[in-house]
Amino acid sequence: MINLVRNEMLKLLRKKRLYVIVLIIAFLVPLFTYAQFKEIQDQREKLGNQDWRTVLQQEITDTQNRLSSSRIQDEWRKYLKIRLSQQQYYLENDIDPRAPGAPTFMRIFVENSIDLLLPLLVMVIVADLVSSEASGGTIKLLLTRPVKRWRILLSKYLAMLLSVSFIVLSVAVLSYGISGVVFGYGGWNMPLLTGFSVSGDELITDNVHIVPQWQYILMEFGLVWYVCVIVGTLTFMLSVLLRSTAAVMGIMLASLIAGAILANMVSSWESAKYFFMVNLNLTNYVSGMATPIEGMSLGFSMSVLAVWGIAGFIIAFVTFSKRDIY
Amino acid sequence: MSQSPALEVENLTKRIKGKQIIKGVSFTLFPGEVFGFLGPNGAGKTTTIRMIVGLISPTSGTIKIGGRNVRTDFTEAMRHLGCIVENPELYPFLTGWENLEHFAKMDPSIPKSRLQEVITLVGLSNRIHDRVSTYSLGMRQRLGIAQALLGRPKVLILDEPTNGLDPAGIREMREFIRQLAREENLSVLVSSHLLSEIQLMCDRVAIISKGSVIRTDSVQNLLAEQERVIWKAEPLPLAKQLLSEETEVTEGADGTLITLYNEPLLPDWNEKLVKGGVKVKEMRTQLPSLEDLFLEVTGGESID
Amino acid sequence: MKKYTLTAVSIVSIAASLLWLFGLGWTLQDQFTANEKVEKPREKTESASTEKQDDKLTIVALGDSLTRGTGDADGKGYTGYLTDRLKEKTEQEINLLNSAVKGETSRGLLKQLQQREIQRQAKQADVIVMTIGGNDLFQQGAALESLDMNTINSKRQLYLSNVKKIYTQLRDLNKDAAIYHVGLYNPFSNLPDAKTTSSIVRDWNFQSAETAAEYEDIVYVPTFDLFQLQVESYLYTDQFHPNTEGYKLIAERVASLINFEQEEDES
Ligand SMILES: Nc1ncnc2c1ncn2[C@@H]1O[C@H](COP(=O)(O)OP(=O)(O)O)[C@@H](O)[C@H]1O
Ligand SMILES: [Mg+2]
Repeated sequence: MINLVRNEMLKLLRKKRLYVIVLIIAFLVPLFTYAQFKEIQDQREKLGNQDWRTVLQQEITDTQNRLSSSRIQDEWRKYLKIRLSQQQYYLENDIDPRAPGAPTFMRIFVENSIDLLLPLLVMVIVADLVSSEASGGTIKLLLTRPVKRWRILLSKYLAMLLSVSFIVLSVAVLSYGISGVVFGYGGWNMPLLTGFSVSGDELITDNVHIVPQWQYILMEFGLVWYVCVIVGTLTFMLSVLLRSTAAVMGIMLASLIAGAILANMVSSWESAKYFFMVNLNLTNYVSGMATPIEGMSLGFSMSVLAVWGIAGFIIAFVTFSKRDIY
Repeated sequence: MSQSPALEVENLTKRIKGKQIIKGVSFTLFPGEVFGFLGPNGAGKTTTIRMIVGLISPTSGTIKIGGRNVRTDFTEAMRHLGCIVENPELYPFLTGWENLEHFAKMDPSIPKSRLQEVITLVGLSNRIHDRVSTYSLGMRQRLGIAQALLGRPKVLILDEPTNGLDPAGIREMREFIRQLAREENLSVLVSSHLLSEIQLMCDRVAIISKGSVIRTDSVQNLLAEQERVIWKAEPLPLAKQLLSEETEVTEGADGTLITLYNEPLLPDWNEKLVKGGVKVKEMRTQLPSLEDLFLEVTGGESID
Repeated sequence: MKKYTLTAVSIVSIAASLLWLFGLGWTLQDQFTANEKVEKPREKTESASTEKQDDKLTIVALGDSLTRGTGDADGKGYTGYLTDRLKEKTEQEINLLNSAVKGETSRGLLKQLQQREIQRQAKQADVIVMTIGGNDLFQQGAALESLDMNTINSKRQLYLSNVKKIYTQLRDLNKDAAIYHVGLYNPFSNLPDAKTTSSIVRDWNFQSAETAAEYEDIVYVPTFDLFQLQVESYLYTDQFHPNTEGYKLIAERVASLINFEQEEDES
């Protein structure tokens, strides 16, 4: 099995896909670092060299003012309200959730890329893992070896897991390394709050507790990894089912983008919460943001994703072991 | 041929989307023989081969490689098999060596030294560390064979191995296949739609048409049955008249007469012509092409 | 070299997998098991300086939509124009902290004053400006809900008691800052009921001023007269909030009350 996985890793590396992904991340991170830097600078200009508390307070006041407008959408109101209570909570506990620093950047970056950017990167790697063998005809050589089909597929699946881990690691290392140049490398021990939960438009703080930022980041990366593995598994399944890599990418792209759009507008369509793509934003539960649909929670979303993932895995393996290769 | 068969195919059928594509194919390969699988495009050669190598599952029938059933004992059966189905598609982004290493790693029984052996055998030593994307078709074909030989198989299956090769390449490939059978005691199954190929390369041949094997025999037998005599004689009409009294005569294109080959009677026919005042200028036997043969066995269905 | 890359990437990936798996496990453990609650308001205030910054004049603005600047085309409101005026008058850097919330009532402001950050800001202030009471008296800018004296009296009583608490609270937090409470004008002074409404607003202002007078350095700034005659030209299209011109009038009046030298001396 090790040999099989090694083969798959070799092919992945030789196809230069991982390399391209790392380049993409290395290109995007400075972009976001600059954006973040600009934002901080802008704030400084507007409010003078203020204490973060004042800045946060201003933000709270702004939010309150927006909330008092009657034209505001219900959805948005709910979101703002929860955000508001959370900011208030941070302020009361004298914790700055955005103290600049590379770890903070890392955290914000990964929170913002969990539902679209990272799944897309994973998809690019995984989409052709099986379909390229089918379209390139090499599958005929691969499957006429004295190795059972499920073992070959499993080796590909493991290679997929490894590359997902590698991508997530690249994101971690690059976002830390590059943003640190601007923001400094400290801030690992900064306290953060987690354990918020949302019920209706109320923020429930019963289980809120402080964790150091490094733990917070590790937890979030764990969730990011989980999301990427599920997206990877589903892409993998499509890659088994379809010969055309472009078709795999097309379908995944459409569902991921649909998920990003749906998350903003499905609140009244309750059964939409069983789609995998509206459940990708797991880090929101850790930081305590409003959920797109009533009744969603970390446990719920993780279970929905797990069900999709397991189904995808089974479909992939059953089809692959039985299928006629023409 | 008293050895146990290397490959046994029995009553193989395949139905795809309600269409019967293979209709009960049976044949047997013995060690050291080159077996031809001859049929026009669309006859079902590739489909049969795909079933043999386990890429598609037969609707019914059994396949045994070295005595192991492909369906129930897949891994063991595959250990004795090397194949190229249709084109030799390898990983273009890997070097020849990496490709071979890749496939060698999939079978732990293949020692590392085997790589060098097969590379030498197919004569690819010079370019083995180049990317496959830079290879010519002939080189890919050879690399394909190298990969098929990695596991020291008992049975080698080549689907249209000379497709797309130039005449020199075709000759080289033909000699190489014969050499493998002779020196390594390998059974080789070669499919082709080209009659000349099979005729020159194979010991035995199965003729397949529309999903059924319509004839299996040794090349010698098939040819012998159809051996003919070509006459060049003057005057032609008289010769034809005299001969037709003895046997069936057809007129060749270039002013020749063609009769069946019948060894004991031949001197008598000749004598009769001479006595009748015909000058016999030339008299030779001719092996028919498999084309003629094919036309005959399939009852006029043309190839290509 | 190529082999080395493959091995390195594989090992790194395996290590990363374990790390992320661990992170995931930790998340599950952390999020799904009960945790001890945060030790409530920790006294730690590392960098939360409540010290006044000597080089700056800090203006803290509190209250409702008027202080927020609703109706001003530039969104500055009287606080913005006030700051502009003061900047002309002095070289000192001026730092405006506007925590006003649209629709705030006296009760809401009192609640807001319990927030730590607002308290901290109040402590830092050199000048506090505020508008409050408009939402207690008027109903969402529509009109007076009813002209029934009893209702209005009880509203006023409630308001006055809140305002007292607000004043007390602000004074507790900051002994020195001058507090300017900008009073009410009558936005309905050109409507049929003008006589009654004006009398109600006047009365309201009077009582507020009386209350302010009980405290040291709390100035109740009248605006009634500013809007009395040409109310349409100073009102925004909602016929309730001031427009840019209206805000400028208020700013001017407040600016004229702020005695610079004195503020600087005090600080
Ligand atoms: N996947 C498929 N679906 C339907 N028909 C097929 C499929 N593959 C092959 N066939 C049909 O089966 C017949 C045999 O094809 P094939 O085995 O490729 O012929 P050969 O290799 O002898 O040229 C053809 O008529 C072809 O149309
Ligand atoms: Mg074919």
